[in-house]
Amino acid sequence: MSLVARNALIALFITLAISGTVAYAINYLNSARVSELSAIEEQLSIDSLSLETQFSLLESAPCDSSASSATLTTELADFGSRLAYAENQLGSDNSQVIRLKERYSLLEIRDYLITKQLAQACKTKPVTVLYFYSNAGDCDNCDKAGYALSYLRNTYPALRVYSFDYNLDLGALKTFIAVTKVKNSMPAFIINDKHYYGFTSLEDLEKQFPKGALSTTTSKL
Amino acid sequence: MSPEMLAYPFLFTAIFFESFVLVTLLSKPAREARERIKNTSTPSVAVIVPCWNEASTVEATCDSLLDLDYPKDKLEIILVDDGSTDATQEAMARFEKNPQVRVISKENGGKHTALNTGIAVTSAELVGCLDADSFVEKGALREIVSCFHNQQVVAATAAMSVHKPKNILQHMQNAEYSFGITLRHAFASVNGLYVTPGPFSFYRRETINKLGGFRYGHQTEDMEMALRIQREGYGIENAPRARVYTKAPSTISELIKQRTRWISGFLRNILGEYRSLIGSKSHGALGMLVLPTALLSIASGILLFALMLFLFARNAVSALEVRAGIPFSYAFLPHGTLDWFYLPASFYILLAVIVLLASVALIVVGKRVSKTPGNMALGLVSYTLLYGLVVPLWLIRATSDVALGKRRGWRY
Repeated sequence: MSLVARNALIALFITLAISGTVAYAINYLNSARVSELSAIEEQLSIDSLSLETQFSLLESAPCDSSASSATLTTELADFGSRLAYAENQLGSDNSQVIRLKERYSLLEIRDYLITKQLAQACKTKPVTVLYFYSNAGDCDNCDKAGYALSYLRNTYPALRVYSFDYNLDLGALKTFIAVTKVKNSMPAFIINDKHYYGFTSLEDLEKQFPKGALSTTTSKL
Repeated sequence: MSPEMLAYPFLFTAIFFESFVLVTLLSKPAREARERIKNTSTPSVAVIVPCWNEASTVEATCDSLLDLDYPKDKLEIILVDDGSTDATQEAMARFEKNPQVRVISKENGGKHTALNTGIAVTSAELVGCLDADSFVEKGALREIVSCFHNQQVVAATAAMSVHKPKNILQHMQNAEYSFGITLRHAFASVNGLYVTPGPFSFYRRETINKLGGFRYGHQTEDMEMALRIQREGYGIENAPRARVYTKAPSTISELIKQRTRWISGFLRNILGEYRSLIGSKSHGALGMLVLPTALLSIASGILLFALMLFLFARNAVSALEVRAGIPFSYAFLPHGTLDWFYLPASFYILLAVIVLLASVALIVVGKRVSKTPGNMALGLVSYTLLYGLVVPLWLIRATSDVALGKRRGWRY
């Protein structure tokens, strides 16, 4: 074998080894991301259950306790943004992403219900936004709506935003959609029980919020 | 299929090419070339300096040649004024009385005619060329002459660096030249060189005459001559420690003009008269690897640039659309986190980073092999940040010139 042919073969082997290592590293990183998400999701499940238990134990005077879902909501938002990033990296059809999205949706519904129960018991009026989107290619303005809500959540920490993939095949979510009577017209918002469809601008969206609801002060919940 | 996947074949090829260069550098012929001891034999040598409006540099160029460590009776310097319209002739006149220097004036006919004029008046065994904007180190000629110890070798190239780089563009070119030193050193060891650059390349005079002297070669007479030498089955060597410094363009416009000439010359030569070399098994590394890769690198440079522009434009438009109406303080100021989770690592990006790191390694190797003095830090930074952005400018221009049959002057 000539020197050139031998060197070319070695170079080919190196190229394959480098490409394989890069592919392995990317796969490893993505697996680590999924593991991280699973760990966060598990912790959130425990926190959520703990809050529910606290609430049940102190049913007579829940407002005097330290029971609060504010921390849980913040953690949930962080989980949501990580999940969105992982979905972007791994693809929305990735089975692990879908599983985590289902768990995330369940946690959101649970947090929403606790928030409502606490608000009722403590006579507070938290501003909640249920946001339904679709990434099936039939929602041109969902990215804009999602970004606008991220801005609102960042600017008004008291705001509670719950995002749901309308097309996610999850029994609890389907029931939630039926109960809240959201039409299949994305993006869809339920802002303190008031339905709103479509997204034109941040300004228009802000008009849908109750007067004085958007303030920078944090709620008790 | 995502647009990024279009880049994969080119990135694989780039990694393969860089790996091949590294492996070849470690092979026996390259090791032996590095260990080559300066030969004590001193054949007669003539260095031709073709000049066209080089009044500002020709004196320093000639002074550096006169300062070469070589027996004076064996070294002849031929200054050829190719019909300059500036004070080149006056600058040359200073050397007329020097017995080592011969000054010739002729009507303007192009660099190849100036070289042929110089070759015609000498009987030296070896003839070399030094562009009038280049300067040699004292020991360069002995390094070059050592290459001709092997009778199969009919031409030898030097190790070029940028002469006193001042601005960021010149530092970038200096790093690129260092990369070139590595490539020439590696390819010479498998007889894969396809250019004998104007700054201090040497030839056996007898072979040059046998081949019919220099030709116009689409404004790249040095490349045309090297390709002709290769086609005839001769060998081209490289002397990695024969250090020569050349003035590099200081503005982007000058650089684009120079490189457009080089690339269009390469394309016209290789796709024209020397097409048979591409894929030629009998020409070994040159035919099977170097020339196909050189052609592919032009295509990939253009494609990757187009892809980069497309992805940037697509992401920018999408980001602007999504951010429309959102206060500037939130939309356009960073508010992310340094969490590893958000590390933007993809197959495409990591492969590109590896190609870049390997390029940096080859630049450093070039500097070490040639033992070129000076600091390369600024060169490496400017190469990393700038090179990928400016190369497509002349690749696109040269390719379109060739495709459209457009010809430009030497200094248009």
